[in-house]
Amino acid sequence: MSEEILNALIQLFAIIAKQDEGLHPKELEYIESFLTQQLGKESVEEYLIRFKKKASQQDSKKTRRSDKKLTLVSDSVRILGLCKKINKTLNRRQKVVVLVRLFEMVNASRQFTAQRMAIINTVAEVFNISKEEYYEIHNFVISEDIKELDFDAILFVDDQEINCKKCRFIKTEYISGQIIILRVKSAELYFLRYTGIDNIMLNGLPVFNNRIYLFATGATVKLPRAKPIYYSDVVAKFMADHSVIRLSFDVIDIHYRFPSGDIGLRRVSFSETQGKLIGIMGASGSGKTTLLNVLTGIYTPTSGQVLINGIDLFKERDNLEGVLGYVPQDDLLIEELTVFENLYYNALLCFRDKTKAEITEIVNKTLKSLGLYQIRHLKVGNIFNKLISGGQRKRLNVALELMREPAILFVDEPTTGLSSRDSENVMDLLRELALKGKLVIAVIHQPSSDIYKMFDNMLILDAGYQVYYGNPIEAIIYFKRLDNQVNADVGECPVCGTVSPELIFNILEAKKVDEFGHYLEERKVSPKKWEEYFFSLNKIHRVPTVNELPKGLLHLPSKLKQFIVFLRRDLKAKLSNSQYVFLTLTEAPLLGGILSFLIRYIADPKSKIYIFYDNVNLPAYIFMSIVVALFLGLLISAEEIFRDRKILKREKFLNLNRHSYLLSKIFILFMISAIQAFEYTIIGNTILGIKDMLFIFWFALFSTYVFAVMLGLNISSSFNSAVTIYIMIPLIMIPLMSLGGAFFSFDKLNRKISTIGKVPPIAEFMQSRWAYEALMVYQFKNNRFERIFFDLDKDISQADFKQVHWIPAIKDRLIEAYDALETMQEERQVNIDSLKRVIDDNLKLVYNEIKEELRKNPNVAFDYLDKLNLKDFDEHIYDATEEYLDALNDYYGQIFFNKDSEKEAIKTYLAKAKGPYYYVGLRNRYHNEHIEDIVTNKFEKYKILEYNYRLIQQTDPIFQDPDNSSWIGFRSHFFAPKKYFMGHYYETFWFNMAVIWVMALLLYPPLYFEHFRRFIEWIGKIKITGKKSLKKN
Amino acid sequence: MLQPLRIQGTDDTPTVILDSNPDNPLFEISGRSLPEDVVAFYEPILEWLDEYAKNPLPKTVFNFKLEYFNTASSKLLLDILLKLEDMYDDGHDVLVRWHYPEDDEDMQEAGEEYADIVEVPFEQVPYSID
Repeated sequence: MSEEILNALIQLFAIIAKQDEGLHPKELEYIESFLTQQLGKESVEEYLIRFKKKASQQDSKKTRRSDKKLTLVSDSVRILGLCKKINKTLNRRQKVVVLVRLFEMVNASRQFTAQRMAIINTVAEVFNISKEEYYEIHNFVISEDIKELDFDAILFVDDQEINCKKCRFIKTEYISGQIIILRVKSAELYFLRYTGIDNIMLNGLPVFNNRIYLFATGATVKLPRAKPIYYSDVVAKFMADHSVIRLSFDVIDIHYRFPSGDIGLRRVSFSETQGKLIGIMGASGSGKTTLLNVLTGIYTPTSGQVLINGIDLFKERDNLEGVLGYVPQDDLLIEELTVFENLYYNALLCFRDKTKAEITEIVNKTLKSLGLYQIRHLKVGNIFNKLISGGQRKRLNVALELMREPAILFVDEPTTGLSSRDSENVMDLLRELALKGKLVIAVIHQPSSDIYKMFDNMLILDAGYQVYYGNPIEAIIYFKRLDNQVNADVGECPVCGTVSPELIFNILEAKKVDEFGHYLEERKVSPKKWEEYFFSLNKIHRVPTVNELPKGLLHLPSKLKQFIVFLRRDLKAKLSNSQYVFLTLTEAPLLGGILSFLIRYIADPKSKIYIFYDNVNLPAYIFMSIVVALFLGLLISAEEIFRDRKILKREKFLNLNRHSYLLSKIFILFMISAIQAFEYTIIGNTILGIKDMLFIFWFALFSTYVFAVMLGLNISSSFNSAVTIYIMIPLIMIPLMSLGGAFFSFDKLNRKISTIGKVPPIAEFMQSRWAYEALMVYQFKNNRFERIFFDLDKDISQADFKQVHWIPAIKDRLIEAYDALETMQEERQVNIDSLKRVIDDNLKLVYNEIKEELRKNPNVAFDYLDKLNLKDFDEHIYDATEEYLDALNDYYGQIFFNKDSEKEAIKTYLAKAKGPYYYVGLRNRYHNEHIEDIVTNKFEKYKILEYNYRLIQQTDPIFQDPDNSSWIGFRSHFFAPKKYFMGHYYETFWFNMAVIWVMALLLYPPLYFEHFRRFIEWIGKIKITGKKSLKKN
Repeated sequence: MLQPLRIQGTDDTPTVILDSNPDNPLFEISGRSLPEDVVAFYEPILEWLDEYAKNPLPKTVFNFKLEYFNTASSKLLLDILLKLEDMYDDGHDVLVRWHYPEDDEDMQEAGEEYADIVEVPFEQVPYSID
């Protein structure tokens, strides 16, 4: 209590005491004992002097009419001032206690005069205590007559039936007088008064006749000749008329063995009804959390049953939907959302049939009942950046489950990490829930004395054995007795009422001592022995099975609705983080701006005019843009699921749909991607003068993002720490970068992985290669300049290649074969085998090439293809082939001439129609020389390559049609102008985009089924078992 | 316009005049306040003030000129003052004049205590009894 409040109280006491005949010695006595409770010995004196001074100030005023003394008007107003001050600081419970204290003081002297009572009445009014409750407290303190105490806030404890209509009653044995208990409902407080002369004890302290005592949570009244009366008994009486869901919760011989083979639980058994608060205690590693996981149905036990109203939790789970609530130890709040929003979205996901207004009402009601209403608009923040207190966080976590009113609530370590004040608040909440008829089962770690006493029953685990189940105070006595300790029958400190639950663990885990007094590793009593003791002395009483079906309030909305709720929740969370929004919106355009600015190169040192055609950096820019999109895509997604993993665990417990969740994530990330890609493209393309291709570049980058986002989501659901996730990113990025086709030419990779004339198989999996090829080919083929000439250029290039490289090469091979044949005929005996090989090899190549040529170009006929082999080859065939090749040469010469003239004609026309500089201008603005260099492979030294009896064209990949020899084969050389797949040709750009989207799509099933995480866990398991076997050896 | 409220005082109840006539407004509680049923007595006064607060005069001067009031009345006087405080908070011009006999320290102190509790312009006005 603060000094300010204590001063206010002292003044209040003093003003009341000085009324009428002035301070009564009994009142002074009361004040002294009150102060002693609040303060140390030294300060009592000081306050007492202050009190006496105030209480004896200036005598009361006399009225004009009579000798009756009246209260001073200044005192009346002073009381109002004091009460207002108290109103600002104390909560309702504390104010009720203050009011009762005032009554008590008057009660001490039993001078219930009109003036004294008028003051107390006024205090009650300013405190906003209702008339009824004032009246109840008044009568409770003053009345001797049972008739005046006949209301339902009163409970009598007596050995004979009390004749009253509304009051409640607990029958006991042999007691003089009665114990009267008052419940102040609005503050949920209980007070006790005893009218007899027996030596009864409240929490170990004597109860004096007709004094008022606070009957606090967990309190016990000990009677000299009867069973003690527990707080929970009293509360149960008052709560009896509440309509509650009736429950029977039977845990029958639960055994649990971990997948690793270790035993987690052995023969855990207990049975409970509604309205109880049950604790599970044990040293760390004793199986507390495992037990909770079994009781909630997350783990299936090796043997044993959990029956809820006779329904088997593990076999008929569907009938129990919504009955169980689980508050794990983890924080389940979404830090960017406010207190209200956290509950609101949770409620939207739990209640299908409720309207928004109804849900808002439920949320507000829940917040009010948990004392969180005042802070409902605060963001919850994270644990490090505290905006709301630890206790408030915990209560909010409980509220998430509470809202849907599960009949049974499991709570894992509700007080761990909280201050003692917060812990008590949280426990009060759980206690209250139990009082309202729920069954609350909480794992509790190192409880304080007060918290320990709140539990109705305590289950104590020791290495998986159930070594105790029953009343918590009795537990201490039980273990002390088994340990043969002195004063074993005293459970709590007789003066202060404190219990020390640690004592139980000291006894449980006591170690043996050797003759030198050193502790040994071995325990005095093994867990198994403790368990045997317990079951030999106690029997688990089975509660009668309730046969009605327990009901839960959980009505999950449809998948689509869930998707929408997830979407709104995530969007709201993201938008409320202004830093995130700012970075997300500016990052991409900033990068685009920087990059394009840096490489806006003007080739001519004397010029200031930027010429697109001359910018050497354009291919690199295109590739970097793809890298940027990959990077940003991975970054925006890599933490998404990881951050939600705890919430996901809970949502899995609620059976919420994972598709809805994932799709909402994907949808939002795709939107961000689309925006970022657009910002990047518009800035980059403008600065670098890439014209007409805004949509194409945007779409390619967006598709790249999409792929990266899908990959990032997979990573984020696979790893269990943010660091690992960020370590993974380079592991993914480096292959994507190096096998993208820009840094290293596909023709010049390690032969072990490459395929001559095609993109290496491993690179086919690299999204970057598809995107890069798509943009390069599209930019080259479809720009406003090349568009005019592309088809001609293609024909020219093909004809030129045939004439200049291919036909001479074939002729060479043919001649070589013929020379060898002649030599063979002349010198019969020598080297016949090696000559045969020369002929065979060369003919095979010639055969393959001409066959392919005939397939593609039937215009020049050749009848001797089948004779191009070692057996049939002779002079005649040789001549015929050469003839064919010459004809072919003429044919292609003609094509070359025709197409080239056509091209020149267009140029001339353009010069005539649009002016002499039009051609160059068009080229400079739309065409890029360096992209051309790359797609035509201009700087390749070997224009033609021999491989596997085939000739491979190394130049002009952009003008070469892809291989269409197999029906579904889509693999081609890099920078092919079009793609072949299943008998059709497709534009390279769109085909490649389709490939990227298919890749992204294929990443969805692993995301949904968490394949990667399972794979990593599987790898992890191998390691662990490996270690173990080592240990054993 | 709001009808004026006039209550003639007795030995145990004060005289009350609440008149919002713009030409000659008067708000005054005077005399002794120890009614049997305080709440019943003050209820019409508080209701009148609620009505008045909806459309008050540009300036409200409220006079307390009491000889004595009991503890129960003190709470209701506070309620009146709190209503005036609300009006003041809403931006209206309000003045409380607390009249007390020159030699009555008790009544003077009561005025000071009230002035501490409510945030409203408060004027202490001593007067002499002839």
